[in-house]
This record gives sequence, C-alpha cells and structure tokens, in this order.
Amino acid sequence: MPSARSERRPLPIPFWRRARRIFLLATIACLVPAGISWMGAMSQAHNVGLGVSSVEWLRQNGGGPIVTQIENWYYTLTAPSKGGPALSALPQVGVASSEGGGGKTAKAYRPPKVVPLIHPALPGEGVWKKAAAGAGPRPPVLVTTFRSDPEYPQFVAGVAWIDSARTELAYVPGLAEPPPPLAHRGSGEVPEGKRGRLVATFNGGFPLETSNAGLIYRGKVVEAMVDGVATVVEYRDGRIDIVKWESGASAPANVWFAKQNLPPIINNGKLNPNLSDGPEWGETVNNAVRVWRSGIGIDSRGNLLYAAANYQTVESLAKILQRAGAVRALELDINEDWTSFISYRHPGAVQPSNLLPEMFRPAERYLTPDERDFFALYLRPGQKW
Amino acid sequence: MRRLPREITPGAAARRTLLADCLIALVLALAAIALAAGIGVVGFAALLVLLVLVLWIAVEAGVRRVLRRRRRSAPPVRRRGRRAQVEDETGLDPLREEPTADQPR
Repeated sequence: MPSARSERRPLPIPFWRRARRIFLLATIACLVPAGISWMGAMSQAHNVGLGVSSVEWLRQNGGGPIVTQIENWYYTLTAPSKGGPALSALPQVGVASSEGGGGKTAKAYRPPKVVPLIHPALPGEGVWKKAAAGAGPRPPVLVTTFRSDPEYPQFVAGVAWIDSARTELAYVPGLAEPPPPLAHRGSGEVPEGKRGRLVATFNGGFPLETSNAGLIYRGKVVEAMVDGVATVVEYRDGRIDIVKWESGASAPANVWFAKQNLPPIINNGKLNPNLSDGPEWGETVNNAVRVWRSGIGIDSRGNLLYAAANYQTVESLAKILQRAGAVRALELDINEDWTSFISYRHPGAVQPSNLLPEMFRPAERYLTPDERDFFALYLRPGQKW
Repeated sequence: MRRLPREITPGAAARRTLLADCLIALVLALAAIALAAGIGVVGFAALLVLLVLVLWIAVEAGVRRVLRRRRRSAPPVRRRGRRAQVEDETGLDPLREEPTADQPR
C-alpha cells in the first residue's frame, strides 16, 4: 500500500523553467561584485554625469571593446548627412581688436590667415583674433574658426595658435588619468598659485589603457614609451615639440614630460598615408566615424596649434591642422565629453571661454578637479599679459 | 556516510532542488567572473541577461493572468457526459441493458 507521502509527490519542474531559475540566480550572483565595484567607482569625486562615469567604469573594467562597438553603432546611425543650408555667420570667438589691451603695435610675428575652403568666405573666417582681452601687441594665444569641409558646409572648426616663445606648456594629471599610482599627481585642476599666468587649457590624449602609448611625467616613466607613436614633448630647457618618438621605452635625460597618443596624423608637413583604421589607432571608435575630435600640431616656427570640431574623422581633423599650418600633429582626445579648449580673457583665470560655443563641457572645467589629464598654458615668467 | 532521506515532503523536495540550483548558479557566476575580461563586462552582460529574464517572467505572468481572467469571465460550458452523447447518436441508453429473449420482461 503506498504511503501518504508518496501520494503527495510534487509535480516535477519543467527543465526550461529550472534552467531559467539557474540563470536568474547566476545573474544576481554576478551583479553583486560588479555592483560593489561600480558603487566604489561612483563614490569617488567626479565632474561628469553618472552615465559618462558608468561608461568609463565599464571601459576600465574590461568593457572597452563593448563601449567602442556601441559608440561605433551609435555614431554611424546618427551620422550627419552631406550638404544642407549654408551658414550665414560663424560663431564669435576671441576678442575684437578694439577690446584688446593698449600697448604699442610693435611688429610681432602673426601666423598667416587660414585660407577659407568654402567660397564666398564668411566675415572673419580664418582671421586670427586675440584670445585674451588685455593682451598686448603680441598675444600669446590667437583663435579663429573656419568651415572645414566643403561637403558639410555647416561644420565649423575652431583653431588656436599658441606663441611658444611667450608661453610654457604644463602637463597636468587628472584625478583618475593617468591611473594610480602616480607621484606628484596634484589636485587635478590648475594650481591656484599658477592661475595668475594662465592663458589657456586644453584636453589631453586618450587614457593610457586605450592608447597603446607611453607617458613620461616629471622626467620619470609612468608608462613605457612606444617608438613610432606621436608625442608631445617638453624638454627640461622649456622647449616644446611634437615628434614621432624614436628614443626607446625609457626617459631621455633632457625630457621633462612626454605624452604619447596614437601614430602621428601629420609628419613632415604631410598627412599620414594610413589614416584609416587599424590596431595602431587604439581601442576607440573607427577613424572614419564623425565625432568631436581634437588634435595638436606644431608649425614650422615651433608654435603650437590646437584644433577641435564636431563631426570630424581623423583625416578631416588632420586636414584642419594642416590648413592652419601644422607640420607635425597628433590626435588628442575625442567625443564631446572630453574635448575642451579654454582661454582666459583676463589674468587670474578670469572669464574663461570655450574655443567653440558648442563645446559641451563648461569653460570652468579645469578650474575644478577633473578626471582626465590635460595641458595648461602659462605665460613664461617675466612675460607681461 | 549518511544518505539523504528519500521520502520527503514536497516542500522539502522543492527546497532541495532550489539549493542545487543555487549551487549550479554560483559555479556559473564564478566561471563567468574568472573567464571575463573584467568585472565591468560581467556586470554589463549580467544586466542584459537580467533584463531579458525579468521581461520573460513578466510576460509569462501577464499572459497567465489574462488567461485566468478570461476563463473566469467566460460563461460556464455545460458539459455533457459520454452517456448523453451515445444516447444522442444511437437513440439508446448505453447503461440500460436491453432485455434478451429469454429474460422475462
């Protein structure tokens, strides 16, 4: 006779329902350590939104290829169409000559006007203007805008020219980039004591993790240098250069800082013939994808040129820098969240102003701690504003 | 070595299955964390899987609720027995034995 227990035997759970339960439990088990890691990252100081910080956390924790793929899809789907109505005016950048400070109109070198690509040219297109209101006859920073691509007549590129004889460039580590450990990290912002001489700040390169590149900071190797990679170098005597690095993995004795980022986009005045995609371009969106891009170059006189614009490919960015006079150049950071060039209208970091009005980050960006590393331009000691 | 009791209540059997499933899930999670490129990838993939599973369970529960409600609101169907069906088809009552010739009426 069967027992009462065996008569009450429960119905077996279907296999698929059990499998689903196992997957659900495994998912929850996976989310616990991931959540702890994410919350730890989010609890640190940030000056970007939660979404951007979360993407950065994903990128730093093995999700770089996922982020890159999603970015590629997104930017390809939202790519701008060619043509469209022509612009009637360019955004106002810099200060008009009448706003400039007094001083004698001494003969000082000025870079030649950037020849417009689209005709008829708009008022002020390619004409250099002072970035600072009180700058004398020899402004340390000049800025201009021009339409950079005849096929996309609504795109405006912003370019800054930096007088290397009057300024000194400093590499400033961010709070999270370069990643720890790093001696003399600082507070991730322009130091208070140096703001009196501050003329401009601009974004750095890709994070070290994604750029396949090296870094020398204060004469010491933070990340092994890579030969063949484009490098912004400051020598101990204060000279700045942009070179294709060929000095090996260690730090030469005369180098103060060297920041590498991807292969050169312009070398010896010519565009890199391989501006298409390849592993040498790092773990990032495809070179042909149109996003905010920025780059830095050097002209034949040793003055720096910075360029940034939305909807640029690597090739179109290189053409902007070449048109502005760069003979060697490299790409810096990309995407709207990381692209910034800020000039300061008055001494003491007063009245900061973005190079282009549509730049996403606020003009006060580098006066508060920032995650990413950046460059600061100061007037050389003894130079007058 | 003590063996697990075989004769157990349905509740105990369900708990035993749940424990086994938890252990399998833990092994799967540890394998995923060990094999993935980083904890970010694990978290991202887990979020996607969780989204799919939660949607699946929610849809299933919704469908079940709709069916139950429909069943409740539908007019009761009069079930006719086999006897009535046979009677309809043959005109004879299958349970009623027809008297044989030798049987007295």
